[in-house]
Amino acid sequence: MKSVIHMTINDKEYEVAVQPNQTLVDVLRYELRLTGTKKGCGTGDCGSCTVIMDGKPVNSCLVLAVQANGRKITTIEGLESEEGLHPVQKAFTEKGAIQCGFCSPGMILSSKSLLDKNPKPTEEEIRRAISGNLCRCTGYQKIVDAVKSVTE
Amino acid sequence: MLLPKFNFHEPATLAEACQIMAEYGTKAKVIAGGTDLMVNMKRKLVSPEQLVSIGRIEELKKFDSTSNVLRLGSCFTVADIEASELIGKKWSALCAAAGALGSPLIRNLATIGGNLASARPAADLPPPLMAYGARVVLKKKSGERVVSMDNFFLGGALTEIAPNEILSEIQIDAPPPYSGASYINLSSRSACDCNLVNIASFIALDGPGGTIKSARIVMGCVGPTHMRAPSAEKLLIGEKPTEAIFAKAAEAAMKDSSPRGFAESRASAEYKKDMVRVLTNRTLSTAYKEAMMQ
Repeated sequence: MKSVIHMTINDKEYEVAVQPNQTLVDVLRYELRLTGTKKGCGTGDCGSCTVIMDGKPVNSCLVLAVQANGRKITTIEGLESEEGLHPVQKAFTEKGAIQCGFCSPGMILSSKSLLDKNPKPTEEEIRRAISGNLCRCTGYQKIVDAVKSVTE
Repeated sequence: MLLPKFNFHEPATLAEACQIMAEYGTKAKVIAGGTDLMVNMKRKLVSPEQLVSIGRIEELKKFDSTSNVLRLGSCFTVADIEASELIGKKWSALCAAAGALGSPLIRNLATIGGNLASARPAADLPPPLMAYGARVVLKKKSGERVVSMDNFFLGGALTEIAPNEILSEIQIDAPPPYSGASYINLSSRSACDCNLVNIASFIALDGPGGTIKSARIVMGCVGPTHMRAPSAEKLLIGEKPTEAIFAKAAEAAMKDSSPRGFAESRASAEYKKDMVRVLTNRTLSTAYKEAMMQ
């Protein structure tokens, strides 16, 4: 039986009818067509499904849509503003931190969450903050450099 | 991966949740952060008819440090445990374990209650909780009972929690003066990995520069469930804390452990035993350093 949930996503109000066994990532991608959030492992190991929920980065593949009722969610689509790309997004594009781009939304959201709490992290703190996000292309160095460049 | 179908309940209070569990018993499963249960449901290992979500019940997220006993609601997140200054100061091994669990993303969802209820032999929070002598409160419609962590795990992913009960609270006594604890987990990766061996050690001295009056060594991944190292603990009592005695205790802990080294256990029994020795030695040394700092 579907139930109606309310979420604030990227500062917009959404009302969606969902099945109890639908995950947040599926509702974001299939019902709301917000396909910036990716599906990789489905088990909370790769981080490509990262979204920020009530201020904290989480694996949206492990959150039931019904558990997201009433919550404030930021997806990668929510980072760009009228002024342009978010500084973290800009740094990623400029520093070679994006190759295939699949991990990038998750990496950027995890990095943004870190910088919101800790504007001048050490390299170790950066690596720890993205330890839940896997990248098969870059070897992580340029991602770390991109985040560092935002702190300078 | 598709989840099986279920009826979803989101009770607003613990009393309501207990009512639902009383009604459905084994047909219902409790979900908090879901970081373990969701994975098992996606793999079709678990298919509950009823899913009872307790992660937003306020009374289950409490942090009560007013008395000599720390009372944590079972839905207090692992990220919040890692971030807690008080837990980092007084129960440092628990803080370390929380920081070792999963990944930052997982820690934001995962709960202390869930890490206990899922009863995985490699879980991070049980060793320090057992080393600190923690207790859990199991609540049901008709009342509640308190169970020591030493009696909580029954082996084979089973716990003391009955089908109509909910793990509501974890109680940890303030450690005595001149005591210390340490947690180390060994795994191939620094995040998102399943531990190969994890050890927590706790020692209490009978005074500054005194002898060891109590010791608890808890080992994970080397038996059907988390286990103490009784012969290692015994030989520490009454002794002066020296490198030599810690090395002796480490050897004894190695003999107390019983890893089977089967295919899914991620390492051979020999290697695990050797690592029990290494990590017991290290955690005892670090626990002693902490005991001396007070």
